[in-house]
Amino acid sequence: MAIIERPTPVLDIPALPAAPPAITPSRTFGALKRPVASTGWKSWLFTVDHKKIGLMYGATALFFFIVGGLEAVLIRLQLAAPEGKVLNADLYNQMFTMHATTMVFLFVMPMAAGFANYFIPLQIGARDVAFPRINAFGFWCFLGGGIVINLAWFLGGAADGGWFMYAPNSGPVFSPSNGIDFWALGLQIAGIASLTGAINLIVTVLNMRAPGMSLMKMPVFTWLVTVVQFLLLFAIPVITVALFLLTFQRSFGAQFFDVAAGADPLLWQHLFWIFGHPEVYVLILPSFGIVSEVLPVFSRKPLFGYPFVVFSGAAIGFVGWGVWAHHMFASGLGPVSVAVFSVATMAIAVPTGVKIINWTLTMWGGKLVFSTAMKFAVGLILLFTIGGLSGVTHSVAPSDTQQTDTYYIVAHFHYVLFGGSVFGLFAGFYYWWPKMFGKLLNERLGSLNFWFMVIGMNLTFGPMHILGLQGQPRRMYQWTEARAGEGFFNIAFWNLVASIGSLVLAVGILFFLINIVVTARSKVRAPLDPWNARSLEWMTSNPPKEHNFDSIPKVDHLDEFFHRKYEEDPVTHTMREVATAEQVLAELERNADPHIHMPSPSYWPLVLAVGLPVVALGVIYSTMVAIVGGFIMLYAIYGWALEPATAVASDFDTPSTNGHAVSTTHG
Amino acid sequence: MKVRRLTSRYLGPRALAASGSLLLLASCATNAPQDTWQPKGPNAKMIDDLQQPVFAVAGIIGMIVAAAVGFAIWRYKDRGQPIPEQTHGRPALEVSLTVIPALILAVVGVFTFRVIFDLARTDDTQLVINVTGQQWWWEYDYPVQNEWGITQPIISSGQLVLPIGTKVLLRETSRDVIHSYWIPALNGKRDAVPGRVHTLRLQADAPGIYAGQCTEFCGLSHANMRMEAVALSDADFAKWVANQQAAYRAPAEGTLAKEGESVFLNQCVRCHQVSGLKRADGSLAIAAPDENVWSGAAPNLTKLMTRNTFAGAMFNLLRDACRDDVWRAESAAFGQKYLSGVDESCLNVNDLRAWLRNAPEVKPMYANPALLADTNGKYRGMPNLGLSESDIDKLVAYLLTLK
Repeated sequence: MAIIERPTPVLDIPALPAAPPAITPSRTFGALKRPVASTGWKSWLFTVDHKKIGLMYGATALFFFIVGGLEAVLIRLQLAAPEGKVLNADLYNQMFTMHATTMVFLFVMPMAAGFANYFIPLQIGARDVAFPRINAFGFWCFLGGGIVINLAWFLGGAADGGWFMYAPNSGPVFSPSNGIDFWALGLQIAGIASLTGAINLIVTVLNMRAPGMSLMKMPVFTWLVTVVQFLLLFAIPVITVALFLLTFQRSFGAQFFDVAAGADPLLWQHLFWIFGHPEVYVLILPSFGIVSEVLPVFSRKPLFGYPFVVFSGAAIGFVGWGVWAHHMFASGLGPVSVAVFSVATMAIAVPTGVKIINWTLTMWGGKLVFSTAMKFAVGLILLFTIGGLSGVTHSVAPSDTQQTDTYYIVAHFHYVLFGGSVFGLFAGFYYWWPKMFGKLLNERLGSLNFWFMVIGMNLTFGPMHILGLQGQPRRMYQWTEARAGEGFFNIAFWNLVASIGSLVLAVGILFFLINIVVTARSKVRAPLDPWNARSLEWMTSNPPKEHNFDSIPKVDHLDEFFHRKYEEDPVTHTMREVATAEQVLAELERNADPHIHMPSPSYWPLVLAVGLPVVALGVIYSTMVAIVGGFIMLYAIYGWALEPATAVASDFDTPSTNGHAVSTTHG
Repeated sequence: MKVRRLTSRYLGPRALAASGSLLLLASCATNAPQDTWQPKGPNAKMIDDLQQPVFAVAGIIGMIVAAAVGFAIWRYKDRGQPIPEQTHGRPALEVSLTVIPALILAVVGVFTFRVIFDLARTDDTQLVINVTGQQWWWEYDYPVQNEWGITQPIISSGQLVLPIGTKVLLRETSRDVIHSYWIPALNGKRDAVPGRVHTLRLQADAPGIYAGQCTEFCGLSHANMRMEAVALSDADFAKWVANQQAAYRAPAEGTLAKEGESVFLNQCVRCHQVSGLKRADGSLAIAAPDENVWSGAAPNLTKLMTRNTFAGAMFNLLRDACRDDVWRAESAAFGQKYLSGVDESCLNVNDLRAWLRNAPEVKPMYANPALLADTNGKYRGMPNLGLSESDIDKLVAYLLTLK
């Protein structure tokens, strides 16, 4: 961790204190000094650097991806044959609940948050996010929430009500273990990460873009992630309320969903899906953003219809609020509500379809380079289209009453979530790995990774279309041969195929993990601009220096980096190279800012975040523990508030260069 | 597989991109009892007629997208061509490509509207059946409807019996958590929610048994909460109604079944009602499931052996061969075979004995006496009653008389 604070006034960021801070570290208690470690574990624990936080999000999410994946494999092993005996009913219910919870809240969301953290400041030419300490606090909340949710495995059983946790089945009578308590409190804590992250990124994007970068010159990834942050900003409070009601019902005897007390269990369903449907777009839009970066780079063409992609993304962000009840077509809402939500759901297919069209036309007439990242991006177009179209078949509410809660729905959302969100994230891994780690992931292993995943995913989730249309409901710990049918479409055969497919898929993921290890051990460094990229995050070293850019670039174009490298031939309209990436970067360094202010690390985000799981455990087991947790938080809030703005002068490190040759001219 | 089905259902699914071929084949399945694409009544038919064109159009669009992407991959692969012109899009093309799907969906929307409201009609009902879900079985309660010969309420479980060609309205609710009633061949699903009554239209064209399954996750034995709808001709339905209302016939003195009756009176009647059953002192035996079971209900066993299933339709009362004989009977012969019920030669005695011996072992339930603290001493599901083998012999003999 390099502290690039300088004692001289910082002219270009007048809002920050330039003079010696009012409370100097020497005059405060020891605990109120700011940490300064630039290497070792402390540099990670106390960091406020958006890149380190992004990597920690990514690493943690990857861990949970493996956990959730193993849960999925167990589910498929159980269902491979009739009357499966791998898991009992209780364990199976925990397994599918935790598989969904883990994949949604502890893998896809935080992985997207990791990419957003790492790349949004880089894409908009900023040196960090607006609130670096809150950023760190968010990560620790996510980690704490993930731990609390999974702690239940070891303390009497995990949550067993399904990730949708419908009342009254989630009540204490019907789920007597503590699993749902851990689940509700853990999600509550993880929700703080999403909410604070949303505010942080919105402020960052609105206020900290490089000069010249109007909103309509902003990279699409940043745009769509910004839409996601607005969705989170309004959706998380809804689930927060719902989870509080649930916790109060379970832990303190409240009766929010208790029919005997005059309540209506559908209240939970509405609250959950008012959060849950925007959540679907929270999961998919970041991947849409990644693909919208990857496709132009490897097609050597700008994104086709950039404004359409941006506005359709924003449209999804609005219409996404009006479709929640399509999860409840069988719940008994009455024909008027069902009709309205049915049509609204059809409407949202339009802006989603726009994106498919734009990606296809981006490739049209291009110069397509099939790197692994590009393969995943193209894979997303095709797989998401399948998922999107099956989605249209159940926007037709009467048709949905035949399909909902069957494997057809499982097939649908795995095509959009796995074929969509996860493939997008994998495109991001391969595309941005050299930026994050300075090394290219192995393309041969990448190819194996891709093909095993594509084949495995289609083998696993393709047959589920059949299973669902043949009437196999979801969430059954066993299926019986008596209802399997005969002939080519018998449920027995396709369940077995799906289970084999899940193993193929697991092998595909294993290739990715091997690739990470192989790449980490490799000594070959990535070139500065390995993909001939287009956007600002590539106008810096690999990995970027702590302060991202030596001088903040002035932006004239969408795809600024590309236009610094290429000019259009006035006759043929093809592009010719006018500068190499190294030359572009050298130009930036020649004009390096003399004074760069970077935020100092801090202890308090971590301390504050530690208090939350303690409170959660206290709610479940003993009020005294909750009070202790409360005091930890109070202490951390005071520490946070009183923390000096900078570290002591003698603590300043020399500027880090992160080893890239071109960074020696640093001012 | 009829030819007409082939032509009308071939087009769409084939087109559904990568999984299209799988979907296509799904439409041809034989004998999948819960196949959602084989409607056997007008309500399910209405849904099917609506969804088939949607599947077809979706399939065609999927094929177009796949073809376009495939073509782009093949045609524009990097073969050393120069970096192309940096075109940013063509608004006219994009607007038209946005409007076309919107128009298609608008048309789909109009038809969807119609079907939604048609399926919600209740004003043309000819027969009402109350359906109540609880962990993990369904209760069927036929309120008094003199035009059907139902002069006293019939309470049954395990199989929903209805007359063919009749607009039946289910009035659904639940006694504990949310369940969902679904007979795919007759209609889509509708949740049974505690504290609410939801309606679902059912109508079967031909006599037969139509399989279903609870589709709202409802706890441990969600997977074992099945249903079967039995459609009978009007005449057969009338016979069924008459038999359900027939007076209780106590087993003859000195038979094994008579001993079974006293075992039943000692144990089972705490939860299970058998209408007309009297105690030794001549008083009516009234079950009190509300004192022992969380949902407050246990299956009424009055005419148990007229049903083909027990324990929430998880197990068959008929041995496989006898059951196949009923399930696969010709329409004309079906009613008579069904109404003959279960006799000793056809009784699936193994599953029934296992159930009586230790119910929670064969069906996951919350029936562990050690965990009753959470539920005020009430079970969810049938506990292990600790019956001796000879008690079980007697009970089986007695249950066989409940026809």
